[in-house]
Amino acid sequence: MASQANGLALADRALVERMAGCDERALGELYDRHGGPVYSLALAIVGERADAEEVVADSFGQAWRTAEQFDPARGSVTAWLATITRTRALDLVRARGRRARALTRAALGNSEGLATPIASAGEAPDRGVERQEARRQVARSLAELSEPQRRVIELAYFGGLTQAEIAAELQEPLGTVKTRIRAGMEKLRGSLVPLLSRGGS
Amino acid sequence: MTDHQWQELAVPYALSALAQEERAEFEAHLAECATCRAEVQAFREVSGLLVHAAPAAVPPPGLRERILRDARRVRPIGARRGPILPWLAAAAALVLALGAGYAYWSVRVAQTALLTALNSTRARLDSASQLVAAILDSTVGTADLAATGKPPSMRVFWNRARNVVVVAAFELPPAPTGRTYQLWAIKKGQAPVSLGTFNTLPGGRAVVTLRMPAGFKPDLSAVTEEPAGGSRQPTQQPFLVGSWQGGG
Repeated sequence: MASQANGLALADRALVERMAGCDERALGELYDRHGGPVYSLALAIVGERADAEEVVADSFGQAWRTAEQFDPARGSVTAWLATITRTRALDLVRARGRRARALTRAALGNSEGLATPIASAGEAPDRGVERQEARRQVARSLAELSEPQRRVIELAYFGGLTQAEIAAELQEPLGTVKTRIRAGMEKLRGSLVPLLSRGGS
Repeated sequence: MTDHQWQELAVPYALSALAQEERAEFEAHLAECATCRAEVQAFREVSGLLVHAAPAAVPPPGLRERILRDARRVRPIGARRGPILPWLAAAAALVLALGAGYAYWSVRVAQTALLTALNSTRARLDSASQLVAAILDSTVGTADLAATGKPPSMRVFWNRARNVVVVAAFELPPAPTGRTYQLWAIKKGQAPVSLGTFNTLPGGRAVVTLRMPAGFKPDLSAVTEEPAGGSRQPTQQPFLVGSWQGGG
């Protein structure tokens, strides 16, 4: 699996390399590989389909313009795209003076964490085998976390909250929140090893 | 702070969950600490995989085409297309590298101002990149327009794939008040077709983008001086003429 992840990462890198050389087809292929996950991420944060579409169009536009600056030694294409998309999605939510969807859910006391939507992910017409496998692995890894650990990571990742804001949101001590985030992410890092390609190598 | 305490910030940093001050301090530390940089990178990868935790949604069908359409209007910054204008590519790379490096590692107090500057730089670069891309395409033909080998002169680039004509004028004094220059495309045996009007700056230079009617394949181009607003057909003998070469 690790070698498969590395192979995918290499193929991604080759696409970004071609984008830097002005090859529009490479952008199309990058979208075919990552458009689904990136759109899902944007939608999970902004909550509105039209807004998610804006975010994804802007994010791929930014990836296209800045492909030349992509440095494989600093991380994978997946992480690069996720960072761009997350930043743009959270900026849009803030610019609209709204709360990210994850926060709204948390405020409603909805216990639906990260793991629940994943359980129903199979319903989406998503044919990418690799993506399905990645979703399963991520779902499995998240399921191994405690519910409070999942919750703080969700609030940070999908809600864009700082540790202090999460503490306030959950009315928990800051130290507790910090420990949960760290422990949860450490655990994910361990269990997601098969999906983590070795960046830069 | 001990090394251990710094390292603990790598996780929240990778999730963008540090408050501004803490983040600034940590970024200053990151600039000097390879261990923490590696930690941040490792957790960025973990964080990147969390895209797969979002409820699966299917993008709207038109989104792919929209992204490609947008991309056709804007070339990648510093695109490796050829040696022309290397200073532009170098400047673009430098500006962006500084911008990106700064945003990434440095204090973000001035982030808003920086972003504004970056956006306006980006817009300028985008338009410069578009111009460069328009004249670098393999379908580009050129015409050198001159009178008798003396100034003034013009070089005109015609991107056949996009029907774009880029005009570069040299040592051409600005047209008198109430007058303008007009560029014509001429197919032998037919009436000249106007490609549009332009004027030069006081230094005698101009770089202007005009449109070529789709499907039109002229043999020659010529420039006349016309009343402001241009004329339907030339009212004067052209003072610059040249034939189209290459790019077929």
